[in-house]
Amino acid sequence: MDSDGELEALMASYQHGDGTAAAALIERLSPPLHRFFLAQSISGRHADDLLQETWLRLHQVRHTYRPGEPVLPWLYAIARHIRVDHFRRTRRLEAREQQLEKLPERAGAARPAGGGPDVEAALRELPESQREVIVMLKVSGMSLEEVARATSTSVGSVKQKAHRAYEKLRSLLAEEGR
Amino acid sequence: MTDREIDVALADSPTVDKALLERISRRIVPNLRAVRPLAARLLAVQLIAIAAAVAFAGASQIGFYAIHRLTDGQTAMIFPGLAILIWLAAAAATAAMIPGARQRLRPLPLMALACAALLAIFALIFRDYSTARFLHQGIAYLKAGLMDALPAGLVAWLVLRRGFAVDSAAAGAATGALAGLAGVLMLELHCPIFKAPHVMVWHTAVIPVSGAVGWVMGKSRNLKTPRTSRSLALPKSRAGG
Repeated sequence: MDSDGELEALMASYQHGDGTAAAALIERLSPPLHRFFLAQSISGRHADDLLQETWLRLHQVRHTYRPGEPVLPWLYAIARHIRVDHFRRTRRLEAREQQLEKLPERAGAARPAGGGPDVEAALRELPESQREVIVMLKVSGMSLEEVARATSTSVGSVKQKAHRAYEKLRSLLAEEGR
Repeated sequence: MTDREIDVALADSPTVDKALLERISRRIVPNLRAVRPLAARLLAVQLIAIAAAVAFAGASQIGFYAIHRLTDGQTAMIFPGLAILIWLAAAAATAAMIPGARQRLRPLPLMALACAALLAIFALIFRDYSTARFLHQGIAYLKAGLMDALPAGLVAWLVLRRGFAVDSAAAGAATGALAGLAGVLMLELHCPIFKAPHVMVWHTAVIPVSGAVGWVMGKSRNLKTPRTSRSLALPKSRAGG
């Protein structure tokens, strides 16, 4: 059975009330989901919270998954909704907060071992829409069609965003390498 | 760095804290029970039935004056056209309530298509271009159409609540457009005024007005979305554990 078929079978079992399938899905899908949140310039602590929140929401609305359909667009559409919701909440809170003193500068991400170019840092430089497309395509291994469904856009738009993201990533990494 | 090297660097997903995964599993697995997957086709059929039933109920209240006066050609143009648009709107509203569903028609293009199609049909079959009492009669019929769209939208929303809208504004607009089409159907069954400007402006206007109301309601719902972990009292990761 291929990976997509396996996920679909696990999801169908989860809908039938199989706890083992639920645990397997959590174990298997959490790392790329966590990375999805981290890549959106969300701190590790908030990424943990959003991961929990996403699973609880997935659990509440698991009946909206239709057997035979790909799992990842369904999952990432919900994760994206949670992230947007988080962003909205954070922005509202930040608008009310008054900064009393200058905060220390945020520590940069640790450079990869071996001193190679820092892809994570370059990824954070991308616009949000390009970043999420790249993470879905390359971290989660989704197809263009699946990303289009998860982001409610067209395949053409996803292709364009991925192309632009790669151009920018290449130039950022080249600059860094110099 | 080549594209291949970038791909390899990106594909490396760091592991997630085991304790966090256990906490999520502990929260989900013990409460697990079987659920019935959402039947998208049945949902769309229900929406179509709601739109038709509310339109017929509305027209039966105020009289089926139009249907008796329309020629066979006019009837053959208006009602199949409306049936197709209602089917498209029901499919769009259903897709908006299923995360990651393939959306063939987003709400805004749907409303534009519905208005353009109805304008073309009305322009083709109504030839009386007089504008006597245009505003006075028009506003009364726009109100009647919207009054019919209101229950259609509310009942449709009740049915759609079983789904989950990742974009409430889009889902609201699609539901509003469907309700607006129910209002137009009622007007086509009832309204005895066959003047082209009246039908083209005031009947068609029910769709964008109803769609806009749905969009605003969906948008306001977006802003009030409760936080899941708070509502389920899940211990936050920062609380340790």
